[in-house]
Amino acid sequence: MSTIQDLRRRRWAPYLLPAVVLVGVAVFPLFRPPLDGFMDDCILALAYVVMALGLNLVVGFAGLLDLGYVAFYAFGLMTMGWWASDFYTGVNGEEGIHIGVSGFAATLPGIHLSFLIIVVGAILVCAVAGAIIGLPTLRLRGDYIAIVTLAFGEIIGRTFANGDEITIFNDYKLSNGRQSISPIDQIDLPLLDPFDSALNLRPYYWCIFAIVLVVLFVNFRLRDSKLGRAWIALREDEVAAASMGVPLVKTKLLSYATGGAFGGISGAFLGAYFSSVNANQFQFGFSIFILAMVILGGLGSIWGVVIGAVLLAFVNNRLIPDVLDQGFVGDKLRDIGLNFSFTEISFGVFGFILVIMMVLRPEGILPERRRQMELTEGIGDTESVFEARG
Amino acid sequence: MEAAGIPAGQALKPRRSEVVSEFISKYGLIAILIAFPAYYGIQDLIDDGNLTRIGNNLADGLSNGAIWALVALGYTLVYGIIELINFAHGEIFMIGAFTSFALWAPLGLNPDTGTVALVLGLLVTLIAAMLVSGSLNVMIERVGYRPLRGAPKLAPLITAVGFSFILQNVGILWLGASQRGVPDLIESQKELVNIVGISLSRGDLLAFAVTVPLVLLLTTFVGQSRLGKAMRATAQDPEAAKLMGINVDTTISLTFLLGGLLAGAAGLINTLYQTNVWYFQGFTAGLIAFTAAVMGGIGNLRGAVLGGLIIGCIQQISDNRIGNEWTPAVIFAYLVLIMVFRPQGLIGEETREAG
Amino acid sequence: MRVRWLAVLSCLVGVFALGLAACGDDDDSGGSSSGGDISGNELTIYSSLPLQGTSKGQSEAVINGEKLALKEVGGKVGKYTIKYVSLDDSTAQNPGTADEGQTAQNARKAVQDENTIFYLGEFNSGGTKVSLPILNKANIPQISPSNTYVGLTTNDPGSEPGEPDKYYPAQKRTYARIVPTDTIQGAALATIMKEDGCTSVNIFNDKTTYGAGLAKNVEQSAKDEGLTVKGNDGTDKNAPNYRSLAAKITADCFVGSGVTGENYVQVFKDVAAACPDCKLYGPDGVAEAAFTDPKQGGIPADVGARTKVTVATLSPSEFEKQGISAAVKFFDDFKAEYGVAQPDPYAIYGFETMDLALDTLKAVGDKANDREAVRNQLLTKTKGRESVLGTYDIDQNGDTTLTDYGLYDIKNGQLEFVKAIKVGGG
Repeated sequence: MSTIQDLRRRRWAPYLLPAVVLVGVAVFPLFRPPLDGFMDDCILALAYVVMALGLNLVVGFAGLLDLGYVAFYAFGLMTMGWWASDFYTGVNGEEGIHIGVSGFAATLPGIHLSFLIIVVGAILVCAVAGAIIGLPTLRLRGDYIAIVTLAFGEIIGRTFANGDEITIFNDYKLSNGRQSISPIDQIDLPLLDPFDSALNLRPYYWCIFAIVLVVLFVNFRLRDSKLGRAWIALREDEVAAASMGVPLVKTKLLSYATGGAFGGISGAFLGAYFSSVNANQFQFGFSIFILAMVILGGLGSIWGVVIGAVLLAFVNNRLIPDVLDQGFVGDKLRDIGLNFSFTEISFGVFGFILVIMMVLRPEGILPERRRQMELTEGIGDTESVFEARG
Repeated sequence: MEAAGIPAGQALKPRRSEVVSEFISKYGLIAILIAFPAYYGIQDLIDDGNLTRIGNNLADGLSNGAIWALVALGYTLVYGIIELINFAHGEIFMIGAFTSFALWAPLGLNPDTGTVALVLGLLVTLIAAMLVSGSLNVMIERVGYRPLRGAPKLAPLITAVGFSFILQNVGILWLGASQRGVPDLIESQKELVNIVGISLSRGDLLAFAVTVPLVLLLTTFVGQSRLGKAMRATAQDPEAAKLMGINVDTTISLTFLLGGLLAGAAGLINTLYQTNVWYFQGFTAGLIAFTAAVMGGIGNLRGAVLGGLIIGCIQQISDNRIGNEWTPAVIFAYLVLIMVFRPQGLIGEETREAG
Repeated sequence: MRVRWLAVLSCLVGVFALGLAACGDDDDSGGSSSGGDISGNELTIYSSLPLQGTSKGQSEAVINGEKLALKEVGGKVGKYTIKYVSLDDSTAQNPGTADEGQTAQNARKAVQDENTIFYLGEFNSGGTKVSLPILNKANIPQISPSNTYVGLTTNDPGSEPGEPDKYYPAQKRTYARIVPTDTIQGAALATIMKEDGCTSVNIFNDKTTYGAGLAKNVEQSAKDEGLTVKGNDGTDKNAPNYRSLAAKITADCFVGSGVTGENYVQVFKDVAAACPDCKLYGPDGVAEAAFTDPKQGGIPADVGARTKVTVATLSPSEFEKQGISAAVKFFDDFKAEYGVAQPDPYAIYGFETMDLALDTLKAVGDKANDREAVRNQLLTKTKGRESVLGTYDIDQNGDTTLTDYGLYDIKNGQLEFVKAIKVGGG
């Protein structure tokens, strides 16, 4: 006991646990086979962590309820579809444009850009999209922001789902409609061979882990920066913030843009990982999935959101299909004679989790420090939109 | 102009700029709404020389809109009284549709049934669907929203979404995940009367025949009866209503019941009209009806009906001219426009606080 | 502070424990090799079909056919035991057809399992577009019981530029199918329409790989037969009805190129109402009970009376007439095992898919655990194969040399065989 107390007094104590965890997460693929089902789930979980952190910026830090986050996922995926596949076969006289790619991708027609270029492109596209989505919400409050962002999410989703009817410059379709754009190039970083998701998942894992590290770093810096504090001020009391000189428009738009950019990065990564881009995925349910991660973790709490994202990703990808359905629970039920598949009720299970979460612990697993202070020290405020229940 | 409540006791005369922007926002919205049919109307005159096609669109639109009006009323009633967007309301509509379909086989209703038996059977189905939807709505309120009465807005919103997913899954388990064809009991597309080239089908008339009485009943109830007065009082100021001795909990449950009843009726009409049911129809219907409620002015009953009719017309015109894969995008674009330029809707009065 | 640490720690530990525990049930062995060498004597055959929505009945028939074939060899080939795993490539949000995200997951699962020797799927061409490149890289032989889209194996008319090579990143063929392509189905539909006296045709397609591809084939074949094509429009699965679209129909014949799961029951209903005199035609995508049987939510009887369906299978009596005794035996065995006298048309394709896989394994003997040997056998040495579908080869593209398509009426909510359509060379 005293050793722990001793440790806690050191200056680097708060960093010990996260550091241990991060090192563990980084090294763990070395202990698994290169093509591992569990690693597959971890990669997805990490990608969702990035998205959840992005949404956390908008909903948790700035207090703007965004129900249309799927729009940024859509843009991220579509940038891969446009610039890392043979979707636009007619380009450059059927020769294609290749920048920074090698291997199989270099032989195909269409536009093929290096993954890093596309990530930058995705960030730009999503940032602009975020600003545009944010514009109509500037004068609205609470529920109405939710509805407008939801509407945008649906508009963008439907536009891509019907994108085969929209053509730009005569020949180039906006998207492939209900059909997928496939195959998408594998990730090809400079100085390294292209990844190959059919042979070895470890490069993908480390790539997304590196992205998570960068995003975490950016988040921590933002939170403690002037912009971050402006967001929190905005969330707590918009009128007071404005009177203290916080530029409302710029702050709000920046929160959408930054949050959206993270969604774009993750979307671009997932496009390469899935090796196909399909507009059918752009549904409202996805926005709720990411929002649930943020709420489960604790609005505004960075580590909380990470945990929430990992938990829900595993519940969705592993608990329901593999453990419950194919595992011992499913087998027992089939033995009794109940012939139903858990995957058929994954929707309902998820909805049930949402309801339970909100009724029992709406402030999340790891509530943000500020909130805890408010609760314990009684520093209440009258009109914050998301005050946690005492 | 923030949608947040400008205090009612504003003693000063409104400034000129405010009058102007009020004018622009109200008539601007009307102009945008009229522009859509007007554009296609003019196109029709050029192409066909008459307004039959747009007339047909509008006729179909009004009957579809009647269905949306019923669902929108549910949204508006609930929002007016507890300021919650009941995301699960679309699914209540869907469950009503499923219930009505499920009862047809046991009651022996099929396209060959005689008229009297059919009418009686459908009446029974109507009442059953309404009751199921109504009680489901009340139950959701008791279980999900009442415990969260004091919590911040986010909590009941997410709970509502959670219930929406649960109900959708009930739909999947009940009738499968694909669309499910339904016998065309009333031959809903058969033309019943043709006025100056505009054909009204049986389905259209059915929609009106059921909606108009229900809406009249509702407005009378809310306007005249004691319970209705209690509802209006609670909507205006729950604290004062409590002080006046009104049982706020019961009043809220009653509101949910009424909303559910209307949604159930809408479910039956929709099933007869479209001849198919789908677990996902509630989601789209919910958002369309919510747009309608917002367009008319959320919290306002007449606004909800007006909004429903207008949205129905927009939907039909879009289906017919642009293609029905684009209709949801068009309707949501309208929703965004309304929210930006006139969040209080066409008729809307200021609610307690728009947020 | 301490509570925070404990909370974080316990959550993370919980998550990892959950994952690792779940992993314990998985097939991943601790080996470090990937693709190619299978150790041990157990081989896995994966089957990936849409098990939700309208496809459920049809997919179950395919699974039953596959299981029957496996049972008839006793679950073993030589010294190897065969493990059969059935996967679902549809999701609740996307039922009745292959969901591309789910399909990719299934393909990745097969790749991550070292013992995989065959992958039987997808049912829908759009799904194979996604799973084929993944499986191709891992050199896993793949057989589809039902894909008809042209671009998966050749670049014949109806395919997109870049196909089929873009599905074979390992630059060798790993995919075979046992049904004739849509080049032939399009020609079959055009032949029938001409025979029935059509002069013009309107086509709707469901905008999927299969539906849009087949529509192009039908359009081409119809023009070749001298019919006027009045339109080829896409339909949206999510629409509640298609009355506006159906009102645009001006031809005297209609082809609904889609699968039931894309809401094609409603399409046919609305077209039938909008065009009371049109003759209606459907492809194999609607050749299932969920479409034909009003009691299961299919088209009403009066619409069914006007509809004809083409599907690449023949009736038991026709098989008998053509002297394919293996088929007759199949129908008897199927009835004995499952108690169904008239199975879904695709049950026999499920059987043949598994039968072809097992015979390929048998032919390579001890090398049945070598994916390359199996692939080579499947795609270069399957010649003159006598099967329940008749005698056929698998050509160098992975296509079958069979060309029979059956024409069916809809009576009493079921498909009723009319005749085999002989197409003049496609």
